[in-house]
Amino acid sequence: MSETEAYKQAWLREKQARLAAEELLEVKARDLYLANQQLMEQNQLLKEQQALMIRNEKLATLGTLSAGVAHEINNPLAFVLSNMDSLKRYTAAYNSLLELNTHWQSQNQLPPALAESLAALIEEQDLEFVAEDIQDLLRDTDEGLIRLRDIVQSLRHFSHGGNSERTLYNLTEGLDSTLKVLQNELKQGINVNCLFEPIPPIHCNPGEMNQVFLNLIMNACQALEQSPEPQIFITTATESGQDREEIVIRIKDNGCGIPQDKLESVFDPFFTTKPVGKGTGMGLSIAYGILNEHGGNIIVNSAEGKGTCFEIRLPVEEPQAD
Amino acid sequence: MKGVIFNILEELVIETAGIVAWNSILEKLELKGIYTAGQSYPDEELFALVGEISTSLNKPAPEIVGHFGEYLFHQLNQRYPEFTTQQTDLRAFLKSVHDVIHVEVRKLYESPNLPTITCHEPDEDTLVMEYRSPRQLCILAEGLVRGAAEYYKTPIEMTHPVCTHKGADHCDLVIRFL
Repeated sequence: MSETEAYKQAWLREKQARLAAEELLEVKARDLYLANQQLMEQNQLLKEQQALMIRNEKLATLGTLSAGVAHEINNPLAFVLSNMDSLKRYTAAYNSLLELNTHWQSQNQLPPALAESLAALIEEQDLEFVAEDIQDLLRDTDEGLIRLRDIVQSLRHFSHGGNSERTLYNLTEGLDSTLKVLQNELKQGINVNCLFEPIPPIHCNPGEMNQVFLNLIMNACQALEQSPEPQIFITTATESGQDREEIVIRIKDNGCGIPQDKLESVFDPFFTTKPVGKGTGMGLSIAYGILNEHGGNIIVNSAEGKGTCFEIRLPVEEPQAD
Repeated sequence: MKGVIFNILEELVIETAGIVAWNSILEKLELKGIYTAGQSYPDEELFALVGEISTSLNKPAPEIVGHFGEYLFHQLNQRYPEFTTQQTDLRAFLKSVHDVIHVEVRKLYESPNLPTITCHEPDEDTLVMEYRSPRQLCILAEGLVRGAAEYYKTPIEMTHPVCTHKGADHCDLVIRFL
């Protein structure tokens, strides 16, 4: 064999070896790619779950805190409210005294000296104005107290759904009746599309569930105020969750959406994006509290300018053997 | 362009014109000629090689590229036989290029800059492959299709009525199954 021939053979062997090495590399590259893909998915899932855990933990702490605050405020509030009732009665009594005096004065039934000193006193203390103003003061105070009572009630709802009475209830009915209640809000050209797949009834507190729906649909309506073609989509379905069958209710709008940096806080008590005086910031935290109490959860997805979707998940109950 | 393409071009030149010819082509272009399958090399290098091959073999570049395409198909098929075994006929194979083969290529190589290929079938006997690539290697694609037809022993007639070299924004490879 000539040297050239020998080199050619060696070259061919080298080439075969290179091809084999490349094949080996490709197998590894493919494995690595798949493993990496899997890792990335799992990492994403972990991140999501971690965020969820932190949020739940935060809300649980806030729940305890707000329950404490609500309790502490509730006691003094109760006696202030009850005192207000007495005060109203008492002022009525004083007013009748003042009226009697006016009556006597006008009829000249009092001795002139007495009439004069009474008139001076009334003038000095501005009692006529007081009588008038006291009504306004009482009304304003009443309003303030009622607001306070509502806030306390909301806080208690958030920390633990107040009324624990549960009945078998079909949530589709709840959605229907809530939509009826909201007819007025929805009249402003908002198109509501319902796609209700049959869902099994569950044991829940219907009043509270309806409150959840009301809060969510009201929010959607408010998000749609500036939309040219306002639409709300409501769907019900049963889906397999991580380890259980779940009822899934989605309430979606094509409104203004929630900025990404606000999204994490929407379930926090007193968090609101609405102007001062427009919202208490309790609606979603109450919904969260109620659903939590029912063994369910709520998540939100939103894209600014595109819309928001709230997704409620509640466990389907195992049929109970009698 | 991935090194594997250079490797196969080298094989083709050595097979048809001998190693002396390949060496002198590399020498003329002052290229090292060391190509590793998974590595990317400048497209210009491939184009320069094709140009030089066409000069030294005294054949027009499109002819070289077309012939290389056919050869490339058989060589790639030898290295990755699973794609042709997965598809029973030529039509199914051509339709799987973008959604099956290119997906696999992406698993192996980072940023392989693959062309976009969409297929549609205006009638029973015709398949139109819409080829889009900034590299404008439609003649190579033609060769690959011919190589595949040869492999599947399926007679075809191919036309190329729409082409980026004639100012269109994409190429249409119209394949008629005879």
